[in-house]
Amino acid sequence: MNIFPESVSTYGSGIDNLFWLILAFAGTAFVISLFLLLYPLFKNHHTRVKRASYITGSLGKFHFKLVAVAMLIMAMSDFIILFAEHSTWEAFTTLPKQKDVEYIVTGRQWNWIFTYPGRDGVFGTADDVVIDEPNSELHVPINKNAFFQLKAKDVVHSFFVVNTRLKQDCIPGRTITRWINFTKEGKYDISCAEICGIAHTKMRNFIVVESNEKYDHFIDSLYNQQAATAGNQQ
Amino acid sequence: MITGLFMALVGGFLAYVFRYNLAFPGESIPLFGQLSAGQYNQFITNHGLIMVFWVGMPLLVGAFGNFLIPIMIGADDMAFPKLNMLSYWFFLTSAIVLMISFFVPGGAFAGGWTMYPPLSVNGYTDPSPSFLSAIFYGSSLMIIAVALEFTAILMGGINYLVTTINKRAPGMTPFRIPLAVWYIDIATVIFMFSVGPLVAGAFMLLFDITLGSGFYDPARGGDPVLFQHLFWFFGHPEVYVLLLPTLGVLGEIIPVFSRKPLFGYKPLIVLSLISAVLSVVVWAHHQFIAGIDPRMATFFSVATILISIPFSGIFLSLMATLWGGKIKITVPMSWALGMIGLFLVGGFTGLFLGSNAFDIYAHDTYFIVAHFHYTLFPSVFFGFFAAFYYWFPKFTGKELNKALGYIHFWLTFIFFNGVFFVLFFNGLGGQHRRIYNYEMFSNVAIEPYITFEKIATISAICLILSQVIFLWNFIVSWAAGRKAEKNPWQANTLEWVADSPPPHGNFHTAPKVYRGAYEYSVPKASEDFLPQNLQAD
Amino acid sequence: MENQKSLSLPSIKIPQGRLGIWTLIVGEFMIFGGLIGCYILYRLRYPEWADQAAHTSTLIGALNTIVLLTSSFTVVKAHEAANRKDLKKITLWLSVSILGGFLFLINKSIEYSTEISHGFTFSSPALQADGDTIGSLFWSFYFLLTGLHGAHVIVGMILMLWALLQARKGKNLHRVELSGMYWHMVDLIWIFLFPLLYLAK
Repeated sequence: MNIFPESVSTYGSGIDNLFWLILAFAGTAFVISLFLLLYPLFKNHHTRVKRASYITGSLGKFHFKLVAVAMLIMAMSDFIILFAEHSTWEAFTTLPKQKDVEYIVTGRQWNWIFTYPGRDGVFGTADDVVIDEPNSELHVPINKNAFFQLKAKDVVHSFFVVNTRLKQDCIPGRTITRWINFTKEGKYDISCAEICGIAHTKMRNFIVVESNEKYDHFIDSLYNQQAATAGNQQ
Repeated sequence: MITGLFMALVGGFLAYVFRYNLAFPGESIPLFGQLSAGQYNQFITNHGLIMVFWVGMPLLVGAFGNFLIPIMIGADDMAFPKLNMLSYWFFLTSAIVLMISFFVPGGAFAGGWTMYPPLSVNGYTDPSPSFLSAIFYGSSLMIIAVALEFTAILMGGINYLVTTINKRAPGMTPFRIPLAVWYIDIATVIFMFSVGPLVAGAFMLLFDITLGSGFYDPARGGDPVLFQHLFWFFGHPEVYVLLLPTLGVLGEIIPVFSRKPLFGYKPLIVLSLISAVLSVVVWAHHQFIAGIDPRMATFFSVATILISIPFSGIFLSLMATLWGGKIKITVPMSWALGMIGLFLVGGFTGLFLGSNAFDIYAHDTYFIVAHFHYTLFPSVFFGFFAAFYYWFPKFTGKELNKALGYIHFWLTFIFFNGVFFVLFFNGLGGQHRRIYNYEMFSNVAIEPYITFEKIATISAICLILSQVIFLWNFIVSWAAGRKAEKNPWQANTLEWVADSPPPHGNFHTAPKVYRGAYEYSVPKASEDFLPQNLQAD
Repeated sequence: MENQKSLSLPSIKIPQGRLGIWTLIVGEFMIFGGLIGCYILYRLRYPEWADQAAHTSTLIGALNTIVLLTSSFTVVKAHEAANRKDLKKITLWLSVSILGGFLFLINKSIEYSTEISHGFTFSSPALQADGDTIGSLFWSFYFLLTGLHGAHVIVGMILMLWALLQARKGKNLHRVELSGMYWHMVDLIWIFLFPLLYLAK
């Protein structure tokens, strides 16, 4: 059985590998601890032992040192984990130098709002395309560094794309930029992972990852449509 | 204590209702009926609040603190008995206020037990609330209830500390005090130092709701994350407030049934003090993905992983007490061992979450839910039951039914694992929390996750039903149980010197203390235990 | 083995009530500490709050500081009198302290009413209407901090009155000291609030 859902981002496998690494350490430690806990129950059962030994484990005594060494080993494996996970954390939180596409994703009650920058590539101009409806789709090209400016309109939301392993809270009044580089085409859920009110459950949109040609085609028609409606309104 | 147990039943009922809903979405729930999304949010929120504040704290810190602290240090009563009563009435009032909040227009508070603003301030039912809209009642009542409850615990805490410092029996030097008393007191100190900022934060939240101030409103220069910091500054130490009393109880039970001194008594106290200090600098690991500075996150990740070291020491010492002992498995002992076993799972899964990178994925999923239930359930319920079965003879002068005790233990143990072990997998599968209906999410609305949901729900129902055995045993044994001996477990600490149940004033003549609490199997001694009050030959 | 140690009672005995009040004071400081900490964080973030702080009356604030300090002094006098069991002096000094509390509250209400008449309230809708939303937050903090402190002043006065009434009957003289300790705490918190809210402009 696959424990994780399919990973579709460049850094997603990092999380999965990290899981197995920590599991190796924690699992070993768990098995040892279980042994420490259960073995004496059989060996030192009151039917087998005449009298318990008088061990106080005071400071500096031999048995105390034994426990101290065990703690030290525990501490060392802790730091190995910390060391190993740091690069994964960096991969998620440090933006790459090259920005290929950028979107604004805004959480509101109860859907995600997607903003495309328009042809000029700048947000806040007249040709921005804003899509604000439940279950709408955000189109993203494959194998590109896609940047997401995450915002929230009313309450705290959390941008969660399961298959990329990325989750980030969206805080009202703040803009937090995260990035994803998709490695596989398809349609993926965006859900909200922070309780945001009565329809928290229904807050779901999609990310559609397409090949570059398809994406260019989509963006072209989107912008043309936008220009047309803008023209009509004038 | 009875109030605490009653609240546990309420909390359990809420859990039953929403778990049923998760396994069988949309179906009518026996004993309840149809659950709406709004009610679902109310129920998960109040399940969390009740279980932590109205069950965990009163059962362990409240009930056992009041009973054990005076009698274990050889005092006749608490330092301020009137304050104690007042504290109880505050607690009762707070519980009633919280219950009332279910019945006001708009229902109880539904913004998650973490109460993150702006959701808690405006609009978890209606995006544009007016001053007198329903929201106002539920959340205000909730905050008032929490405030009353904190006041109650603070009053109790003042009492505990003063009692321990001032009312000890002659000869009860600081390092002869049993570990249970030490740990309850340390928990109280942690509580007192961490709760202040949350009270301040709750004030601001209350005024944001009622008077229209903007402490957490970004449009007015406030910052929602501020509340998260204030909340978790208290919230993480709170976990240790719940855990430490249980560890103290274990520190009594395990030596008694191993007939062996507690391993490393002084180191255990030092370790718990270290973890108490560390506990107030780890809070932001609840906020790795809340947009805090990545470097800060790294700091908190290191601190979090560091705190596992003193706790590993504490658990190793408890297990080391078993080695070389003469172990007798009894009902309280099985609860104590079960607590260690389950908490190990909770503790080691904490390693995953403490590493900030994995937390990006696991945060707010069922992985976290399973993790904190594996830590809190053993520390609250297993700790409570261990203490209950251990001290019941002293408490009432009656014996509990052993067979029923074992059945209760094994059923609770098995079904608890049945609920939460499968949820680890659901969490890793990306199922996020506090979702009313999973059918629309493609990644979790597939097998095996649906089956896992059902296993969890059925186990949860069985888990709650198993507690009937406990209640039955409790009531029947109290009313018609066999008379218990004065010191049925042959333990050393002072409470076993008193009559069962202890009369008013606890002791007929004030006991004198000649030694530490854990002198078991002392070489050359005739018995394998040496009570603290026994004069040396 | 350590069972040969002395059987004497725990050596240092702090009177029960005093110990209780000390623990209470620690708890109170954590609450105010949290609030003041938040206030300082915001203050550093928004230097423009200085404009709002300019509207507070340093004169009344300073007057109140003097009043509180004086009443703290008289409470010490009352404590001394209690040690000598001088009931008349206790009555005198405690009454003066309570009077100090009244003076403080009167000053405070004059101050509040001028501020409210200028449109500075808990949520300051007038300021918000002017677009100075960030400034309005200063007033939220101002009223929260001083209001909470004011509530403690009232509690302190009630405690002193209670101690006074009992002391007149010659009962529970130690309560004079206890209420005095609480009063010192109220005073000390004000010493923190005064520079933060009034002087820093």
